[in-house]
Amino acid sequence: MVKLLANALFMSTPLILGACGEVVAERTGMMVTAVEGIFLFGAWGGFVGAYLTKSLSVGFLAAIACGVLVALLYAVTTIHMQQNQVVMGTAVNILMTGICEFFYRVIFGTPLEPLTVKPLPVLSVPLLSGIPVLGTILFRQNLITYLTWVLVPAVLFLLYRTSLGLTLRSTGENPEAVDVAGISVSRVRLLAVLFAGILGGIAGAYYSIGDIGMYTTSIISGRGWIAFAICFLGNWNPLLALGAGVVFGTFDAIGVYVKSLGSGFFPSELFTALPYLLTILLTVVRRRFNAPAKLGTAYVKER
Amino acid sequence: MTQKTRAAEAFLSTFLAIAAGLVLSFAFLPFMGINPLSSFGLLFSSMFSDRYTIGTIFVKAAPLILTALSFAIAYRASLFNIGAQGQFYMGAICAVAVTLGLQNRIPAFLVIFLAGLAGSLGGGAVGALIGFLKAKYHANEFLVSMMSTYVIAELMDYLLRTFLREKAKDYLQTDSIDPSTWLPVIVGKTSVHLGVAFAVAAALLVWVLLFKTQVGFRIRAVGLNAEAARMCGIRPETQCILTLFISGFLAGFAGFIEVNGMQHMLITGLDADVGSYGIGIAILGSANPIGILFASVLFGALKTGGTTLGQVSNVPASIIDLMEGFVMIFVLISYFVRHKISLSRTKRLLGKAVKHG
Repeated sequence: MVKLLANALFMSTPLILGACGEVVAERTGMMVTAVEGIFLFGAWGGFVGAYLTKSLSVGFLAAIACGVLVALLYAVTTIHMQQNQVVMGTAVNILMTGICEFFYRVIFGTPLEPLTVKPLPVLSVPLLSGIPVLGTILFRQNLITYLTWVLVPAVLFLLYRTSLGLTLRSTGENPEAVDVAGISVSRVRLLAVLFAGILGGIAGAYYSIGDIGMYTTSIISGRGWIAFAICFLGNWNPLLALGAGVVFGTFDAIGVYVKSLGSGFFPSELFTALPYLLTILLTVVRRRFNAPAKLGTAYVKER
Repeated sequence: MTQKTRAAEAFLSTFLAIAAGLVLSFAFLPFMGINPLSSFGLLFSSMFSDRYTIGTIFVKAAPLILTALSFAIAYRASLFNIGAQGQFYMGAICAVAVTLGLQNRIPAFLVIFLAGLAGSLGGGAVGALIGFLKAKYHANEFLVSMMSTYVIAELMDYLLRTFLREKAKDYLQTDSIDPSTWLPVIVGKTSVHLGVAFAVAAALLVWVLLFKTQVGFRIRAVGLNAEAARMCGIRPETQCILTLFISGFLAGFAGFIEVNGMQHMLITGLDADVGSYGIGIAILGSANPIGILFASVLFGALKTGGTTLGQVSNVPASIIDLMEGFVMIFVLISYFVRHKISLSRTKRLLGKAVKHG
């Protein structure tokens, strides 16, 4: 049980990271539908960087670069070229599937055994990790998980207590007003999407070099979309997204656990499907939404 | 500016975008020490190498036509059904279950008919459910349809592992269906089956439905302005359910033609990218059924040529995804460029008129 909970927090980290990036971007009116592609390229870049240099930090830096690159492509085409965000995201996601597979082959050929790196080590916090039960759950995690816990309140502070946050939120609610105030809507949105790219890249790499220590083509399989859903279910609020992320991480952990038990006629698939079912259920049950008014619409400046 | 030159411009820019996408994907080949030009040539020569391969292009295009139509019809109503993959799986599950259950018990043509009906209705039911959740509870159809795909994929794996599993119990797949229940091949010496003709017919029917009937008018009216449509007595909620039902119906039908026409069994992860390619193709064909027909054939050809290329040379088969991704992005960019050009042209004309006037 303790192990399961610790594992749940472990699995929720990338989802929270991705969702936080998504929250910031969506607050400016940008749905980052390329999130799946960002995660995937991050996972790919993280692995390639870490494998070639034998250094996890280089891996994560490479993942950030990859995430930003995808985000940049997405941002330029949707913000500056005003293409539909859903459509463009789909195109970017397909392209990334191709690029990752193709260049994995270019760099590594077809290795006979799966290539591996040593995944992120557990960092026990001195003293605190000695607390029974809670210590094991909370304070025997890895560095990225700790950083994520710091990130959430930081983003919350940024959004609600700083003038930059006000600008970000206004861009999603009333871009004309931001424009009139002399701030470039395009630039705010671009930077917000790039921020989502950074976090999404790290989140992707968390799956490859943080968790299993290798890269497979199906490594993300919809996790990016779950982060997308968490942002939505968390009512575009980082703190609620953290909560939703932990719930989803728990289900992810349960799914992995049940699958290892084996099968028979018992539908262990049901547990794998739970996060997705939960998203549908919560989408239906939730009545009040606080969606940014201009979410998903391109801003055309009057001339 | 006549209608004709406008169409010609659209055609030219789309063509250039496709060419740019293809060239860029092959430009990566020197990284692997492969001559891009000869591979490019090989791609085309392998597409048209023989009668059978040319037929394969159309066999691969058929499900893409249907999933693209599925996305397009919802898109016309301003709805995003990005769950065609799940509806496709649902259609495939229903079709294979009906076929396996009824084959050799009732006349084969009846089995095929019922399998087609079950597949389409299965997909349609999923679509209608998404539409209902949207209409009744304002659930975001984009998220719900996306998530439903993963749920249905798990459901399919469960059924393939238990109730529908093959007798040998080796793989996650069903037994082969009886040859009498296969969709008949309609062009000799190829694998082109009746489903291909059905898919083309579906595109024509959807065109008629969208642009020549009241139902289609309502769908498009809601898509253009839901509130204005409501003022005219059209209920957007009803249209939402109906549109997503049709959308799911088409995707489910694609599941049926893949099971009874091409694969002749259900395997795990069948055509795992048919949904996302459908979206790309719908965009390439500007959500117009006729455009979708051409775009599907193009993608079918790229899939066929790319697969052969992967077999006969060192070029990885994943170049297909690369090509398709780049083509989509360039086509989207070409929309922007075309818009810019026409805008500046209008401005110039306006400027002239002001000067002379």
